[in-house]
Amino acid sequence: MKIVLDRPRCEGHGLCEEAAPQLMHLDEHGELVLDREELADTDASTAQAAVRVCPVAALRIA
Amino acid sequence: MSTAAAGRIVVVGNGIAGLTAADTLREAGFDGDLTIVGDEPHPAYSRPALSKALLRDRNAGTAHELPPAGHGATELLGVRATRLDLDRRLVALDDGTDLPYDRLVLATGSRARRLSGLPGEATLRGLDDAVALRDRLASAPTVVVIGGGPLGMEIASACVGSGCRTTLVSQGTPLTHQLGPHLAGVFVSAALASGLTLVRTGTAARIDGTTDAGRVVLDSGEAVEAELIVSAVGDIPNTEWLADTGLTANGAVPVDVRGLARPDVAAVGDLAAFPTPHGVRRVPLWSSAIEQARTAARALLHGDQAPPLRFQPYFWTEQFGLSLKAAGRLPTAGEPAYLEGEPGGGPALMRWSHADGSATAAALGLRVPVPRLRRMTEPTT
Repeated sequence: MKIVLDRPRCEGHGLCEEAAPQLMHLDEHGELVLDREELADTDASTAQAAVRVCPVAALRIA
Repeated sequence: MSTAAAGRIVVVGNGIAGLTAADTLREAGFDGDLTIVGDEPHPAYSRPALSKALLRDRNAGTAHELPPAGHGATELLGVRATRLDLDRRLVALDDGTDLPYDRLVLATGSRARRLSGLPGEATLRGLDDAVALRDRLASAPTVVVIGGGPLGMEIASACVGSGCRTTLVSQGTPLTHQLGPHLAGVFVSAALASGLTLVRTGTAARIDGTTDAGRVVLDSGEAVEAELIVSAVGDIPNTEWLADTGLTANGAVPVDVRGLARPDVAAVGDLAAFPTPHGVRRVPLWSSAIEQARTAARALLHGDQAPPLRFQPYFWTEQFGLSLKAAGRLPTAGEPAYLEGEPGGGPALMRWSHADGSATAAALGLRVPVPRLRRMTEPTT
């Protein structure tokens, strides 16, 4: 299980970082950095919350 | 309480609030019978995108699409709830069925307020509205948009962008009521520079239905004519189906700090009025719907053991070539400190300090993420 970013869709809101700060952050240019692409089962609910909160659906779980 | 005691859960409403409630019930361990009812035939979508990328960019056909739902609920789409019986715990649907529940989530959202019953008055609330409006704009009709809030301004921006001669009719200066005079000034300057005609009125405009042409009559008695009239004058919660339940007040459903209207009924999203520092009120915004739903779903399973809502406002808009992201209280009075950039509409990071020590932070044309804006809103000690 991993998080996949559709970079052209990302608008840099950062609501995902707020939902899952241990999994991702936005750098100083507002670009999203996935800190852990491969997810453990224990990350599933946090990752799901990050995916769901994105208003432009730039994230998905694969 | 184990989640088995929750029995059957029904979520009425398949917008982002209902979807997030259903997702969160599963995340919180509820593995029982879950049903979600949506009055639109479409899967849940991102409403903020409708008046932004979807309307502006003819190629942005998928801007509103969300990742598929993971809740595995029984989905009843294209049906509407017509009545709620709290004693028998039944939701009546317009296809004639009665849906039994043990716990219930009310998430039927709101609809566009209209100024008339005339078919010529277009509104933008749902996906079908947005697609129809985008198709109308393709032939570049003359347009009057009524309503100077963020939605009216985003629609007007898309109209101008589509080459339509566009007039915006606004009570007072657009966006002042929502954002405050400083940010309103930035956006109005950009709108006028892009060719928008702005008409300020003192009281509400009305739509004249006595002619075939679209005519909007102002408080001065003057009229503005256009081939297309779009109104964006607020929303009305969809709570008529709850009328005889005693759950509504002033058209909304008041809830406690955990989003519960009563122990077995949660209300989330645009129809719910929840306690804020400024009173019990509706906050019909994207991140508000999500936070309410996440809180209330857990409260429905775990009652007072669940954490209360700690909502922090986040607002964004895109219009007339500008983008704004803001955290903290809006509207803001007075002039901000410019932490980056300078006044004039270019990229800038602004901060307004309030008397209570908190602040509002706004990024114009900059990719400043919410967590950083949030930190800027915290009291400086």
